[in-house]
Amino acid sequence: MGPVSWILLLPFLGAAALLGIPSHQVKWVRRIAAAATGIPLVLALFLAAAYSKAQGGFQWVDRIPWIRALGIHYQVGVDGISAVLVLLHALCSFTGVLISYRIKERVKEYYLFYLLLIGGVYGVFVSLDLFFFYLFYEMAVIPMFPLIGIWGSGEKAYATMKLTLYLTAGAVLALVGLLSLYLISGIRSFDLIELSRYLAQNPIPGSFQRWLFPFLLIGFGVIAPMWPLHSWSPIGHAAAPSAVSMLHAGVLMKLGSYAILRVAVGLLPEGAYTWLPWVAGISIMNILYGGFVALAQKDIKFLIGYSSSSHMGYVLLGIACLNPLAVSGAVLLMFAHGLMTALAFAAVGHIYDQTHTRQIAEWGGLARQVPFIATAFVVSALASSGLPGFANFVAELLVFFGSWETYRLPALAAVFGIVITAFYMLRAVRTGFFGPLNPRWAGLKDAAPFERLPYFILITALVIVGCFPSLLTDLIAVSVPSALSPLEGLQVVAMR
Amino acid sequence: MMPPHLWYLAPELWVAGLAALILLVDLACKGKGSREIPLGAAIALLPVAPILLLQVNLGTRTLLGGMYRLDPLALFFKVIFVAAGILVLVMTREFSRTLERAHAEFTALILLALLGMLLAASSASFLMLFVALELITISFYVMTAYLKTDARSLEAGLKYLILGSIASGLFLYGIAWVYGAAGTTSFAGLRQALAGRTTLSPGLALGLLLIVSGITFKAACVPLHLWVPDVYEGAPTPVTAFLSVGSKSAGFVAALRVLHELFLPASNQWAGLIAWLAGLTILYGNLCAIPQKNIKRLMGYSSIGHAGYILIGVAAASSLGSAATSFYLAGYLVSNLTIFLVISAFWQAVGSDEMADYAGLSRRSPFLAAAMFVALLSLAGVPPMVGFFGKFLLLLSAIQEGFLWVAIVGAAAVVISLYYYLLLVATMYADPPKDPTPIPVSLPVRLALYACLAGILGIGIFQEPCVRLSLAAVRSFF
Repeated sequence: MGPVSWILLLPFLGAAALLGIPSHQVKWVRRIAAAATGIPLVLALFLAAAYSKAQGGFQWVDRIPWIRALGIHYQVGVDGISAVLVLLHALCSFTGVLISYRIKERVKEYYLFYLLLIGGVYGVFVSLDLFFFYLFYEMAVIPMFPLIGIWGSGEKAYATMKLTLYLTAGAVLALVGLLSLYLISGIRSFDLIELSRYLAQNPIPGSFQRWLFPFLLIGFGVIAPMWPLHSWSPIGHAAAPSAVSMLHAGVLMKLGSYAILRVAVGLLPEGAYTWLPWVAGISIMNILYGGFVALAQKDIKFLIGYSSSSHMGYVLLGIACLNPLAVSGAVLLMFAHGLMTALAFAAVGHIYDQTHTRQIAEWGGLARQVPFIATAFVVSALASSGLPGFANFVAELLVFFGSWETYRLPALAAVFGIVITAFYMLRAVRTGFFGPLNPRWAGLKDAAPFERLPYFILITALVIVGCFPSLLTDLIAVSVPSALSPLEGLQVVAMR
Repeated sequence: MMPPHLWYLAPELWVAGLAALILLVDLACKGKGSREIPLGAAIALLPVAPILLLQVNLGTRTLLGGMYRLDPLALFFKVIFVAAGILVLVMTREFSRTLERAHAEFTALILLALLGMLLAASSASFLMLFVALELITISFYVMTAYLKTDARSLEAGLKYLILGSIASGLFLYGIAWVYGAAGTTSFAGLRQALAGRTTLSPGLALGLLLIVSGITFKAACVPLHLWVPDVYEGAPTPVTAFLSVGSKSAGFVAALRVLHELFLPASNQWAGLIAWLAGLTILYGNLCAIPQKNIKRLMGYSSIGHAGYILIGVAAASSLGSAATSFYLAGYLVSNLTIFLVISAFWQAVGSDEMADYAGLSRRSPFLAAAMFVALLSLAGVPPMVGFFGKFLLLLSAIQEGFLWVAIVGAAAVVISLYYYLLLVATMYADPPKDPTPIPVSLPVRLALYACLAGILGIGIFQEPCVRLSLAAVRSFF
């Protein structure tokens, strides 16, 4: 069993171990959760560092035949794209576990569901079999229901039901598409590597690809979140406890764009050429609509939530371009946006736990009272606005350059979106953190030294990747061309 | 040395003997049977499991003048029935305080219904199938109305009796038409007579339609589903549980025998109809479940919804569809009985079936709440629970046979069912309890729940053995 299987297995083992611990042993519960996410973080760093760029392809592949009658295999492995996303998830989940020390109520149950969620997300990023890919995808959705429903705030009952039903509806739609794809392909195998190799030689007829693609695009697009199916997401972010928001906005939304890239584009290239120009158009709506709605928000979590769906528009745009530059940018942006938004939610959560209000206008001058948390939030706001020196800048630049070749109008919209982002982010920083201190918050406590670790981890990662982007872009650049290779030789219908 | 025929019939003989023994002992004790009788019967049923495993090597054989047959499909379903019988008897012990009287008689009735199910799985002739199904139904008539002072129980019994008699009449009339057209009621003879016939004569078609109607009553499918909610709500909880898994599985084993074993060559004549029924049943069951307040009524509608899913496999008329039907029923058994075990333990402690009273169950009994949570997710079809893989196989078989629209209906209903299942989860986990006293869980129920949960997760994660068995069970039909 290779490192990838261990990464996948450890959160589940951690969850199983928690079952055997009495719930009043809060310290041990936390230690186990930290170990079950910390070891995968070390392994994920190892994967990103040791991935052989010369060799390329999927590495550390483990394969066990699972259901022979249907051609289902337990098969996991990573390429450059999934290695980056596994690292993102490892960073967000470990810092999420550290941030969750604030949870005081029903701690064991909380970490149990949290670890199941984490394991499910790892599963999606490393699965190389469509059956397991779907299985983990659906498994990642369900733990959100109790996590938001029990430990959330505000309209949590409504938010968590809406989120679960939206994501499940998308998932089952994708399932119907995946099953049709399996049957039409004719080799009776869910093995992603085998399937793509076979389809490269014997492509599915174009007419089939064109009706099949929307199943996968819309199904996975719900979680991406693609406009107009995004409405579950800001509400879900706002209601979730901060560590869940971190994972939700930081990683879960990336499952959608990852699945579209890996499965839909990889297996149905002709369908992709037919439908992705529409996605480029939709991404304008994501960027501008999301941005303008964020402008109007008074609740900080809703603001970050809409900002997230706006930024995921850049990712969708990058993938829709189907050229290596833009797609690489999209993958790097998934990474950068994930860290930035996790940082923002962590900082906001710290304040909300003490103020019990998320109205930006009611804050005011918090930088004086909680300088460390304020710094963290300002860093995330600057990163989000595309300031050079942070990973987001590099990623957004790649998306702009890449999309300018293919879709001029959406590229212009994307650049304009940056202006909107800078406006609402910096306005939130000014209103919430600077100016006169609201006397209500005079007793606010800053993060204690040991609480600062997760913020340090996230900021360090953002800065390192921002200053040395080649650490990750080299990895991505190895795998993006092979992810796009099914498209070779197809007629490009560009919408200029 | 036992005569070889008796060895083939060993499970049936064991169950029949046990029922007779319990009645005799009860006679000797002048009806003062102890409450532990159901538990004793459950333990006495355990040896049937190794007998069934040993019978796997016997191969296919027809006995008793062509009336009885032991084949892999019969064995697969007998395992389901015996497991259901044991779990229902455990539940009955929990329920015995409400039952108040005649525990021995009640236990014997459960065993007789179980005997009917075992015989239905092994039927090799329409006459045998009819007698077996009647044995099940008549036992249930009595058990449904067992709570003499409870108006709802009496109403349920009467409703079940009247509608069940009509369904039996339809079934028997259908057999008559098939006999008139084909000249035999034996499955082997019919299979020969129907081989290669892709169109049915009007007599056969009418006979088939009537037989299928009778089966849809047993399996709780549209259009003969109307009895379900009232009977499920009114009947004693163990009876409801047995109806929902045992009686339903008996209906579906009959459906597989009739439609897949006999009428397969003419599948283009009936598959479309069954697919429509599947779609309607799924939507009816799941949509009507949404506003329910009583958990047994909710499970009634949910059971209609699941019957619709299983019909997909019947409509697919392929080895995958047939295997999916069997697999789904095995998964449905463990998931549904988990829920009924929790319901009966909850009833024993709280005396209520209202969903609102489940508020805060996770704090009153974390174990019961967790078991319920896992089982509800399994019913909704969430991986890695067994219900997910059952739905996966069913949808795959539907798309394979060109019923894409049924697959889409089935997929959409997953979302609907998740909604009402999760409402119950939210009640159990997020709402504060009205009364924080812990709910005790007796040892037999705890053990039964562990067994069911092991089934839900074990078959759900390591699907291959069960998939292989269910494919082997139907191999001879295709």
